[in-house]
Amino acid sequence: MLEGTSGDHPVQPQPRQGHLEQMTQGRVQIPSSMAGEEDFFLEEKRFKQHCEEFVKHSQQIGDGWEWRTNKDLGDGYLSKTHFQVRNRHIAQDLREKTSDNIEETLLAHVEESLDDSQVAGVCTTEEVIRYEYHVLYSSSYQVPVLYFRACFLDGRPLTLEEIWGSVHACYQDRLQEGPWDTITQQEHPILGQPFFVLHPCRTNEFISTVLTGPWKHNRHKNYIILWLSTVGPVVGLSVPLSYAKVAPEQNSSTDSAERALN
Amino acid sequence: MTDDKDVLRDVWFGRIPTCFTLYQDEITEREAEPYYLLLPRISYLTLVTDKVKKHFQKVMRQEEVSEIWFEYEGTPLKWHYPIGLLFDLHASNTALPWSITVHFKNFPEKDLLHCHSKDVIEAHFMACIKEADALKHKSQVINEMQKKDHKQLWMGLQNDKFEQFWAINRKLMEYPPEDNGFRYIPFRIYQATTERPFIQKLFRPIASGGQLHTLGDLLKDVCPSAVTPEGDLRFFMHCTRCNVFPQNLSLRQRTSEESQKGRRN
Repeated sequence: MLEGTSGDHPVQPQPRQGHLEQMTQGRVQIPSSMAGEEDFFLEEKRFKQHCEEFVKHSQQIGDGWEWRTNKDLGDGYLSKTHFQVRNRHIAQDLREKTSDNIEETLLAHVEESLDDSQVAGVCTTEEVIRYEYHVLYSSSYQVPVLYFRACFLDGRPLTLEEIWGSVHACYQDRLQEGPWDTITQQEHPILGQPFFVLHPCRTNEFISTVLTGPWKHNRHKNYIILWLSTVGPVVGLSVPLSYAKVAPEQNSSTDSAERALN
Repeated sequence: MTDDKDVLRDVWFGRIPTCFTLYQDEITEREAEPYYLLLPRISYLTLVTDKVKKHFQKVMRQEEVSEIWFEYEGTPLKWHYPIGLLFDLHASNTALPWSITVHFKNFPEKDLLHCHSKDVIEAHFMACIKEADALKHKSQVINEMQKKDHKQLWMGLQNDKFEQFWAINRKLMEYPPEDNGFRYIPFRIYQATTERPFIQKLFRPIASGGQLHTLGDLLKDVCPSAVTPEGDLRFFMHCTRCNVFPQNLSLRQRTSEESQKGRRN
């Protein structure tokens, strides 16, 4: 649960790269007794409140997130769509996973790709990919879950292999090893359509790393921001640093949360 | 609960007689005969249709064949749903055998998950088992099991071995004597009429007063449109994949069927 008050601690945006290194180096093992004492499960009400805060900030900075409510059951999810340009070498087989190829399949600026093609003499096309990200709540694991899908402008969806190939190079090793990074295809529980999903069953483990010991001051922060800024970049979703400024609303009641979300 | 072995066996060995017909627009070198098969209700289409695939591929050219998918009266069938659930949702009012159309082209990307290998089915199956145990035991029982036990659950399903499966699954269906049941009941309510694929919520087996919750309590709580004010079921529901049960029986008894394999219906 939220504890402490905002304003006591200066907000320290952790540089994402360093944060990830701290998490992966040393591989902090939470002893099971300690994990049992402190459960960092996110209740659904709190999930909605944090999503509301998140959307508010997104609106302020034009980051494109919105909340969608399901009319049947009243639950809902965060949603964001954006377009990214990716350069692609025509003769290349995306399934090859050498580091050269991974560099090439990274999302790149149009200008850079044009220069590369002129220098290398290889034919490239820039392709626009439409990414759609949803944040849903899992009542079974009591954590948020990231769903996403991607397709080209002609409607052709990216395959799981293409998705894997587009994961940033510095996360590729973790992707191979870490169960919490596993991306599979699943049915969206509200829309009933195929999406890719980052598995939630280990979320609580790494979130507890972020909320204990030297990072205890994080507990009063927005869970969605903490979580999404960690998992989002793995699948091409960036969370601008300005979100670190979001201060939790001390007196947010469920009423105001519901009003804002409807 | 595991005393109800007869019921467990009936659920496990439930079968649906099915007729597979090749889609008329598939290009064949000679005429494709329909293929008949008894499908296990508790299994998955892509796990039990290797023979169907081989049968139709014999009359087709290699280049005409890509990922197989199944359809009933225009609706693509979600292979990741148990077969019995698919039948109950789409075809329970029609005469047997169940007529399924087989496709090898134009995979419906917007409707169906891909299933390129048995590993995908295994991963999906294990994910369901794990999620159910997260609800029942906070994942403690499934996480304490060895990898070989997980494998035995899957092999039991894949090879239709009741004893092999239940040797492991019975541990997932137990709870400490001081508790009166699972932490939450794993369930899903599927309706053919909604866009939303299923209803799933946290639901405890014991009410605050200590009495056991019944199926009727569950329905009133999560799907009130299914129950009349008098407490009768409003329409025909398959509460497991094969039977409607009187709703005043305690939910704990129902979960012996509903949570078969630790999954929800």
